[in-house]
Amino acid sequence: MTEEKAQKIVKASELDHDLRYKISEQVGAKTLLKCIQCGVCSSGCTVSEFIDLQPHRVVASLLLGLKDVILSSNAIWTCSLCHRCTERCPKGVDYSFILALIRNLAVEEGNAPKEYTDTIKTIYENGFVVPYTEGMKKTIDRRRESFELPEIVSPNLDEIRFIIKNTKLGNLIENENNDKKEDK
Amino acid sequence: MSDAYALFLGCTIPLKFPHFEKAFREISALLDITYKEMEGASCCPDPVATQSLNVDTWLTLAARNLAIAEKMDLDIMTVCSGCYETLKTTRVLLEEDKDAFGRVNSVLNQINYKYKGTSDVFHFVELFVQDEMLEKIREKIVTPLDNLNIAAHYGCHLIRPSNILQFDDPERPESMDKILNILGANTVAFASKLECCGYCARLNEDIGFKLVEEKMIDLTRLDNEVDVMVAVCPACVSQYDRKERLLQRNTEEDLNIPILYLPELMALAFGVDQTKLDLSRRSVKPKKLLEKLKI
Ligand code: SF4
Ligand code: SF4
Repeated sequence: MTEEKAQKIVKASELDHDLRYKISEQVGAKTLLKCIQCGVCSSGCTVSEFIDLQPHRVVASLLLGLKDVILSSNAIWTCSLCHRCTERCPKGVDYSFILALIRNLAVEEGNAPKEYTDTIKTIYENGFVVPYTEGMKKTIDRRRESFELPEIVSPNLDEIRFIIKNTKLGNLIENENNDKKEDK
Repeated sequence: MSDAYALFLGCTIPLKFPHFEKAFREISALLDITYKEMEGASCCPDPVATQSLNVDTWLTLAARNLAIAEKMDLDIMTVCSGCYETLKTTRVLLEEDKDAFGRVNSVLNQINYKYKGTSDVFHFVELFVQDEMLEKIREKIVTPLDNLNIAAHYGCHLIRPSNILQFDDPERPESMDKILNILGANTVAFASKLECCGYCARLNEDIGFKLVEEKMIDLTRLDNEVDVMVAVCPACVSQYDRKERLLQRNTEEDLNIPILYLPELMALAFGVDQTKLDLSRRSVKPKKLLEKLKI
């Protein structure tokens, strides 16, 4: 499998030469271009044995413009957010955050995992990552009362929804609303 | 650090683990910590799904929360390491990157918020480990934890990445140990002390199982029997509590080490009536621990 990969010839015309800048221009990613391929990020990675492309290889692929190699790797969705890669990088590359930017790219191309879209929908509907409406709200409120805890003042949902829609995630929510309509 | 804080509870603690919130409020009252409720705050938002979907959504929702604290003219106190990471990282990134700062504000302005970057963000551990606070903690002890061996689980989002969180030493942290030692406990040294709980690797549960098992096996191999593991993040606590129990089904080893949220243990040391804390609300019950403390 590895051999097969190593032997695959990629033509220069297939490379996305702007990929590295597309990422490095973004918030938190300026140091990307300084990577020296030392491998420190990979050596301490918590999920090393679960991924098919090690962190330093993801960075190398990013710098080379091998977009498909990166987007088809399970490494971008397999991360425990332990931040050891970022912590130890001698060149200050924030790999764990850059990985989030790569996931954003995958999402833009329509590949958002259902678990994650479910989370943003829950936030869209409740303002919280835990459902807090109707029956759930009653149960939670009762439990809080039993501990004599103050009442929860929910956020203004129009504001939360406005933010989600105006930062490019509106389509994920809309798809869902359409799906719901179709279901009915 | 300031005299009063805007208390940012997040979602997980107030909605799923209100008993942790109870413990935190009980000890805060005893330690005279002054805070105000952050009414209208939303999910921090979570550093896993929201950040993965769109960093701008993540930053803007977080900046809205920060802006609420700014309006209150207070720094934020968090009770969850996930919230701590999100809010503090947002603060640092928006300070570094003027474009992102502008983008976030152009959305926020339309709903009448303005993010300025004037409120700082703290995790309660940062407050508790201050010298004068440690002294206060010592004064409040009713039941010293003298005969306990405790494993401190720092978790990732309290200490890494250190250039953003700027708190404890990322490779040799000591804040939690200091607090536990003041309470009288012996904190154990163990190889996997800085390992992640795996909760955030949400798309592959095997990672969490492997990490939880490794840490538990590590802890059961020590010379001193570990009475309890302590964490400062609800995700870590629930991860170990749930997965230990599931792992136990397939092994001869006794992996059932109870795990407490630090404020719960502090509340016990401060003599808070344990029936108020509902300590039984977990898979691995801290029964032996309570017996040892004679509570
Ligand atoms: S640790 Fe940093 S410099 Fe080294 S390979 Fe990883 S990203 Fe590149
Ligand atoms: S943050 Fe993710 S990629 Fe980085 S070391 Fe941890 S698990 Fe590996």
